[in-house]
Amino acid sequence: MADAAALERTLKFVVDRRRTTRRQFAITGVVLLALAIWSAHGAEFNIPRLVEGLPKFYDLLGRMMPPNTAILGGLMGPLLETLEMALLGTTFPIFFALPLAFLAAVNVSPHPAVSAISRVVIGSLRTVPELIWAMILVTAVGLGPFPGVLALTLHSIGGLGKFYYEAIEASDPGLIEAMQATGASRFKVIWFGVMPNVIPILMSSTLFYWEYNNRASTVLGLVGAGGIGLALTHAMADFRYKEVITCLILIVLVLVVIDRISAFLRSKII
Amino acid sequence: MPKMSAMQMAVAGIVALIYWKALDDTNVSIEELVRGLPAIGELLRQMFPPDWSYALQLGRPVIETLQIGIIASIIAAILSLPMAFLAAKNVSPHPAIYMPVRLILTVCRGVSELIWALLFVVAVGLGPFAGVIALIIYCVGVIGKLLAEAVEAVDPGPLEAMAAAGASRWKVFLYGAWPQVMPLYLTYCLYYWDHNTRQAVVLGFVGAGGVGYTLFFNISTYYFEKAMMAMIVLIAMIVVIDRICLYLRKKII
Repeated sequence: MADAAALERTLKFVVDRRRTTRRQFAITGVVLLALAIWSAHGAEFNIPRLVEGLPKFYDLLGRMMPPNTAILGGLMGPLLETLEMALLGTTFPIFFALPLAFLAAVNVSPHPAVSAISRVVIGSLRTVPELIWAMILVTAVGLGPFPGVLALTLHSIGGLGKFYYEAIEASDPGLIEAMQATGASRFKVIWFGVMPNVIPILMSSTLFYWEYNNRASTVLGLVGAGGIGLALTHAMADFRYKEVITCLILIVLVLVVIDRISAFLRSKII
Repeated sequence: MPKMSAMQMAVAGIVALIYWKALDDTNVSIEELVRGLPAIGELLRQMFPPDWSYALQLGRPVIETLQIGIIASIIAAILSLPMAFLAAKNVSPHPAIYMPVRLILTVCRGVSELIWALLFVVAVGLGPFAGVIALIIYCVGVIGKLLAEAVEAVDPGPLEAMAAAGASRWKVFLYGAWPQVMPLYLTYCLYYWDHNTRQAVVLGFVGAGGVGYTLFFNISTYYFEKAMMAMIVLIAMIVVIDRICLYLRKKII
């Protein structure tokens, strides 16, 4: 008899759980649908308009063919500049993001207030997209790759900083406590306890940001911060679509190569 | 001092050369920075104090930006599922499908959202819709690729067992691979919601509306105290989204 009761309880439990899961699923679905409808309305989402516009898009593609290969030679300089901006814009922020991350990570931060302030700094830098930084900096220091590098640096301090402090917070607390118990200074705890553990993750997220910055630096030219984006913007503004497509193909190819290099380097790290 | 091999020395030398060239080409130097500092200081001076009264006028653009981010993320999340299924080597119906889908995904994420938006402005005109399409295309490219990689990395045992039992490829994906990758998928979706909202701001620069357009307009007309206010509102908005994502992520995983 007891067995039957137990079986019934188990069955009831399973059925109940299934019901709750199903209900949760339904609620999530309804909420998402409501959000989607509300947002689609506000964002002027309109499939017929897209369908109507497709011939125009097709026409645009037609005017892009064949790509103008004559400008390839002239694009190499701007392309190199784009890659250089991304490289520097990923290297400089490391030196700022790392100390900031150690101040921000709650498990090694000298004080909760310091941690909170560092997080606000990291969050603010990360939130403002690099293009907005670039536009502001171009206004301040003039056109060229220099404001581009600064813009990528500012944004990446935020982006890398967040990745870094999350990695530090996820590192083994036992090791840190053990070192603190032996009376090691904060610097020693960080250098010998935390760093060796987190370096692979830090390098991996830095590589991720390098990829990200390469992509971002292709459009910095839109606001006058140099690179291939500038050539693209000019071609676009003058309706020279055969040059636009050349730039686009070049950008995609380079980004694919960067992805491969990044994947290769990552496989070496981990 | 550990001894470096010839190979390591060569690599270090090449890296040093690359950096030297990059610094030289981009005119990045301490002098340049020092020369730029007064201008940046002057700009900051003009940005403060922010124009607090302007905050009220930012309500509508902020909501529009949020809506662009939400609709783009939801549609991208849905579309990236079949794309990932077709692009994952272990469940894709046929190599002839798998290769072109991979290529499509690469092109989708190879071109930045901003450029997609510029192209789609031609098709659907100025306005948020072009921005939404741009975000969707880029996002499908990224989530599709990440998800396909996750699917390829799942434990092959259940998949093989199901295939042996005669399940169709789609069923193998749905019941064999999906339960293993779902938490990851939801994490990506949440991350890209945050990303899309930030990018929606940038798309305002090319006429896709929202708070980005407001910001663009104010910077280009030198209303820096208004631009500062828009940036503060923007940061607050992203912080709120970040918190929501964090909460949802904890609930899911």
